[in-house]
Amino acid sequence: MGLGHTLSSWCRQAVEQVRRLPDVPRDLVLTAAIFLLAYWACSILIHHTGGQNNSSLVFVLAVVLISLVTKGYIYGIAASIVGAFFINYSFMYPYAAFSLSISGYPVTMLSMVAISCIVCTLTARLKRQAVEAVRREKKAKALYEMNEKLNAEKAAIQLRSDRETIRSNILRAVSHDLRTPLTSISGAASVLLSSEEISPKNATMLTDIKQDADTLIAMVENLLSVTRIQDGTLPLQKQEEMLEEVAGDALITTRRRFPDYHIELDISDDILYLPMDSMLIKQVIVNLLENAIRHSGDQEHIRLSLFRQERWAVVEVRDHGRGLTPDVLESVRAGRPLERALSGDTTRGMGIGLSVCQSIIKAHGGFFAADNDPKGGAVFRFGLPMEEAEHE
Amino acid sequence: MSEKQTILIIEDERAISNFIGRALTANDYRVIPAFSGREGLSLLFSHGPDLVLLDLGLPDMDGLEVLAQLRGLPKEVPVIIISARDRESEKVKALDMGADDYVVKPFGVSELLARIRSALRRSDRLKLSQGNQRDVYQIKDLTIDLTRHQVLLGDEEIHFTQNEFKIIELLAIYAGKVLTYDFILKHVWGPYSSSGNNQILRVNMANIRRKLRENPSDPKYIHTELGIGYRMLDD
Repeated sequence: MGLGHTLSSWCRQAVEQVRRLPDVPRDLVLTAAIFLLAYWACSILIHHTGGQNNSSLVFVLAVVLISLVTKGYIYGIAASIVGAFFINYSFMYPYAAFSLSISGYPVTMLSMVAISCIVCTLTARLKRQAVEAVRREKKAKALYEMNEKLNAEKAAIQLRSDRETIRSNILRAVSHDLRTPLTSISGAASVLLSSEEISPKNATMLTDIKQDADTLIAMVENLLSVTRIQDGTLPLQKQEEMLEEVAGDALITTRRRFPDYHIELDISDDILYLPMDSMLIKQVIVNLLENAIRHSGDQEHIRLSLFRQERWAVVEVRDHGRGLTPDVLESVRAGRPLERALSGDTTRGMGIGLSVCQSIIKAHGGFFAADNDPKGGAVFRFGLPMEEAEHE
Repeated sequence: MSEKQTILIIEDERAISNFIGRALTANDYRVIPAFSGREGLSLLFSHGPDLVLLDLGLPDMDGLEVLAQLRGLPKEVPVIIISARDRESEKVKALDMGADDYVVKPFGVSELLARIRSALRRSDRLKLSQGNQRDVYQIKDLTIDLTRHQVLLGDEEIHFTQNEFKIIELLAIYAGKVLTYDFILKHVWGPYSSSGNNQILRVNMANIRRKLRENPSDPKYIHTELGIGYRMLDD
């Protein structure tokens, strides 16, 4: 029991070690082992059967085994030739001497060599085909799995992009179809306001109508901007623009809506000419200015400045109002939209305006920051890269 | 000018057409509304208006097609385009096809009126000069003397490079009209200038602005049409 156990574990270790060898030494070891085994079997057999021996058959079997476990047919052929000599030498009369003179011996030897050669080329070919078949199957399986995976991914992407397209189409259509009636509401109200037949009492209501229509128009602009960037899935319509022209245009738009507010524009001596989606950047500046007008309580000292800071073209909106609450600062820093509770009556529109700003700037690869000036008032600042990022 | 000036409004949205009509009548213009491209063209031939307001998004025919037919007329009528923002490229095309100016929905009444006045003044000037170019242009306190290659801001002479002067000259000749980047590039840098020259034009413009001490948010002389081109103000 103990001995059998030791033996079998020894064998397992030996097999394991042989398997770990590189191809050539491994095949040599295997060939030698099988050969010796066949030799040993024949020398036992010859004691029992005497001259009428079947050692050639045992050797043919050994050659078949060798060609099965080794690579190619070199080992098999070599074993069959060497085997033929050994049979002749050891197991055929006269024993322990090589002889071809006895009739029938050359034929036996040649046919043995021939048979084992044929057998081992056949096994080698079979083996090659088996290996090839396994390889093909593996490849086919891998291809199949890959295909499955790709199909699933494609379906998911298709679904997602379909949803996105539908969503943005609806938003765009709504924004566009809202714009025309809003233009006529605001326009009709301002025509009526300038006519002499309107009593002062009605004029206040008309002013309200006009202002609310203008607020709605601004909101529609924001909606439209959102549909144009939406999670960065749509490419920006970037073109090189002069930042001061965009800022000037934004200020003109803002002033038209809030004629009573004084806003200063500082342009730097640096020429800030850089790639951007000018409509969206204008939207950001308009939102920041409106934000300052609505929430700072400052009518006099709102200041829009442009300057260059290292590789950034920076736009800054500064007021001398009541400053930002910690909640607003925190949400800008974290880059998340303002809580609904914060955008109640006093901060109407601030939430959506700021989050639109942040996503537009993010889509441009820029930075967006908000802070309080220690001397009082809020500072919003965003920067756009002067050069296109290298990977784009 | 004893007779009222006539303005043809080609716009299919009745609410828009109505309020523009009311605003124009209140400002002493005679208004002819047309609600489709075909109606607009036939009214154009029968009434010979002084100015056309043209919406690009018409139901029956392309606004640009209307503009092309209108431009085929012997009498030059100034055209102001009314466009929706999603027709950005059509706007540039319309300007290159000879439209004078454009407003984008949503637009305000006062903005529209200012642009109409400017376009009408320009067309009056063209009629008076009968194609002869003037030598001196006066825009507010800015004097542009084409023969002497001189620009005066008040009494102070401002020095411009040759290309800067060419740009100012071109804008002055077409004062009141929006000139697209391409138009300016072709006239200043020649017909083979590539669109890569855009940057040179924009930088030249930024320098002109600095020399004239212009505030881009409150321009006195040169108005920027964002992403489109420039227009010299003429009032």
